Amino acid sequence: MTELAFILLTGLFLPLFPVSMGFNWLLGRTGNSWLRALLLLLWPQIGLLLITNLEFQVPGWLLSLALATSVLYAFRVLAIRDVGQWCGFLATSSWAMLWIPVHADIPMFHVQLYALGFSMPLILMTFLGSVLEQRFGAACTGLYDGLAESIPRFSTILVLVVLAIIATPLFPSFFIMTAMILQAMSAMPAIAVGVAGVWLLWSWAGAWLLQGLIIGIPGEERPADLQSGAVWGYVSILGLLIAAGIIGTRLLS
Amino acid sequence: MEKIILIVPLIPVLSALLTQLSSARFGHESVRISITGSLLTFLFTVATLWFVLSEPGSHAVSLFDTAALLLLDPLSSLMATVIAGISLIVHIYSRRYMADESGYCRFFILLDLMTASLLVMVAAGDLLTLLIAWHLVGVLLYFLLGHNTRDKSAWRYAFWTKITYRLGDLPLVIAAVLLYQAYGTWSLPLLFEQVMAEPDAHQVFGLRLPDVVAALIAFSAFARSAQFLVHTWLPYTMSGPTPVSALMHAGIVNAGGFIINRFAPLFVQSAEVLHWVFIVGLFTAVIGSVLMLTQNDIKKSLGYSTMGQMGFMIMECGIGAFSLAIYHLIAHGLFKGTMFLGAGSVINSARKNDGVPKEDLYTFIVERKPARQRLPWLTMAAVTLVVPVFILVSTHWLISQDYFQKQSAVVLLFFGWITGAQLIFSTYKMGTQNMRRMVILAIISFAVVVLGYTLISHAFDLFLYPDPVFREQLYAAADIHIIWFDALIVLITLIIIFGWFITFLSGRDGASKNRYASSLWLMFYALTSREFYLPHLYTLMTRRLLRLAERLNVWLRWI
Repeated sequence: MTELAFILLTGLFLPLFPVSMGFNWLLGRTGNSWLRALLLLLWPQIGLLLITNLEFQVPGWLLSLALATSVLYAFRVLAIRDVGQWCGFLATSSWAMLWIPVHADIPMFHVQLYALGFSMPLILMTFLGSVLEQRFGAACTGLYDGLAESIPRFSTILVLVVLAIIATPLFPSFFIMTAMILQAMSAMPAIAVGVAGVWLLWSWAGAWLLQGLIIGIPGEERPADLQSGAVWGYVSILGLLIAAGIIGTRLLS
Repeated sequence: MEKIILIVPLIPVLSALLTQLSSARFGHESVRISITGSLLTFLFTVATLWFVLSEPGSHAVSLFDTAALLLLDPLSSLMATVIAGISLIVHIYSRRYMADESGYCRFFILLDLMTASLLVMVAAGDLLTLLIAWHLVGVLLYFLLGHNTRDKSAWRYAFWTKITYRLGDLPLVIAAVLLYQAYGTWSLPLLFEQVMAEPDAHQVFGLRLPDVVAALIAFSAFARSAQFLVHTWLPYTMSGPTPVSALMHAGIVNAGGFIINRFAPLFVQSAEVLHWVFIVGLFTAVIGSVLMLTQNDIKKSLGYSTMGQMGFMIMECGIGAFSLAIYHLIAHGLFKGTMFLGAGSVINSARKNDGVPKEDLYTFIVERKPARQRLPWLTMAAVTLVVPVFILVSTHWLISQDYFQKQSAVVLLFFGWITGAQLIFSTYKMGTQNMRRMVILAIISFAVVVLGYTLISHAFDLFLYPDPVFREQLYAAADIHIIWFDALIVLITLIIIFGWFITFLSGRDGASKNRYASSLWLMFYALTSREFYLPHLYTLMTRRLLRLAERLNVWLRWI
């Protein structure tokens, strides 16, 4: 009973279906982008803290449920058009896989860094989504074509952030995914193949989102592009992420 | 001196950065930085090749302590020189060709980054560096193919490419992880050393580790080199800019042949996988060629031509002729690159003058005039079948007397014989007024090609795999049981002779009068001209999956 209660509680923060729906419900009802960013930053860390404090041994079957949750959200995100929801689903899909390093007894500090590596680009995406909401009234794919031409600086940053989310080298998420496949291979090789499948779905989702926003002939109305200060801010954070990714390769050796 | 390999990929990265930073101030002129960078890169790669030629062997250099290992060996230096050379030509060509396109500087930046990724890929000395470069090539190609952001169709097919590449990346990741888990190192030289020393030391899913890993790497190679079933992206990506098509067909698509060569010490330990590689390659070569001949869209036809060539390249790996695959990919790359880059000027000049000489070839192919003079068909049949054998055997005997003891050699000679016989047979069918002259010219040109091909491929063999024992192991690994081998050769010979016989009959009697055979032929033609409905099938599957995802979202209230 205690075990079930624990799984339900931690499953809310380190997503396990169906309690994983709680996070997406909450994120959907949070309008303020700073609050959303805070949620994306802290949510998985709370789950990891719970695991540390309650000293719970993760049973093997839980890995299958975690992978199923990850696959489910990675698959469902393919049909998502709203940028906010897209972030939520991608976050759920990526955090669910944190059960793998937890099960593999990887030092908790490293797992917390994994969570941060997943969350940071999603936070950037949340802010980019709010920029779209300010300019167009909604952050949705397929509503306005040709952002690459109408707001090129924004589009460049959007492309880089999406690449960071879908685990493209040299961003930390790439090394985290590789590490997770390595850890899963030791425990259950089938899980490792599943993780690779999730990675493929993310790539699909990322390309779908980009093509729904930046491609096409722009409308006559030209919205304001990102200001150079904001661009440098985003570029600096992305640069830091790349540096963290390169340094993080040592965790794989 | 070996540290030069670290500089090679850094130059294009630096030139991309400088082009980006200077583009706001200098506009289109900033691409001169990119072109200069690409020239420098080429010069440095030539220096690496020179270094490897003067100091044979493999030299490993790392960027940070033990991480980011780059290899300076015959394979990396040769491939790097080819890549840098093609990249330089593409850069120079694009300067004027892309001048009116939007995102002019972005295009050059992406080209530079692609060059850097390809250079790192061919020089990677550890699995992580290889994975990074391998993955980045796919991502950068996606953006290069979709350079025109207004063209939704270009992006659609760029997406096909990306998703197929990702499908191929993941087996490589799993292979890398399996190797690391088994041997505890990411370094390729150390891994190969351990695999060669103890090939049966580890197992996965009850199978030998080298077999599993080789199969995974082979699948990665198939996706990258457009083998059958994972090929549909290739013929449809012609909407991208012409220089990108040239770069793709001349360099990127060849990565499959490269990766199999890089992991040659693993494939040596995995004979069964090599046999599968041969079958997939052969099947792709045949299907690609058939699809090429039945397409009425010239661009698609070119795409399928590349697919057929890639099939041949993979097939060469499957028979243990690894170095020949490298020679093939370089030769094909230069040929296809020239075709793409020269297409524009050819079309332009053809508008003024078609330039087709009104000679025998023209009258035969275009005007379809009947034969005016024929040599006795028995004499021609003898010439057709015997002369290519004589040329092939004597040329290869010059190189090595024990050449014919290898099965792979016999397979290659067999293909050479078919090609030669087909050439003379077609010449015979042309029906020229001066038949003797035409046949002699055909035989001389065939002999020159065979001699050149044999000499160069032998030189490649010695350069890429200097160890004679390892060379023998490569060929031996690809061998199959002699009875199967002989049976296959006889079967294929009979099929080919039957094909020639049918061609001869159809040429003599005109159109076939057999209604059943005609309808069967029409069905086959419809199937091939519609590319076996594979693109439609994949599109349908994608739509179904998206609909399912949407339905799931509705059921789960979008949370």
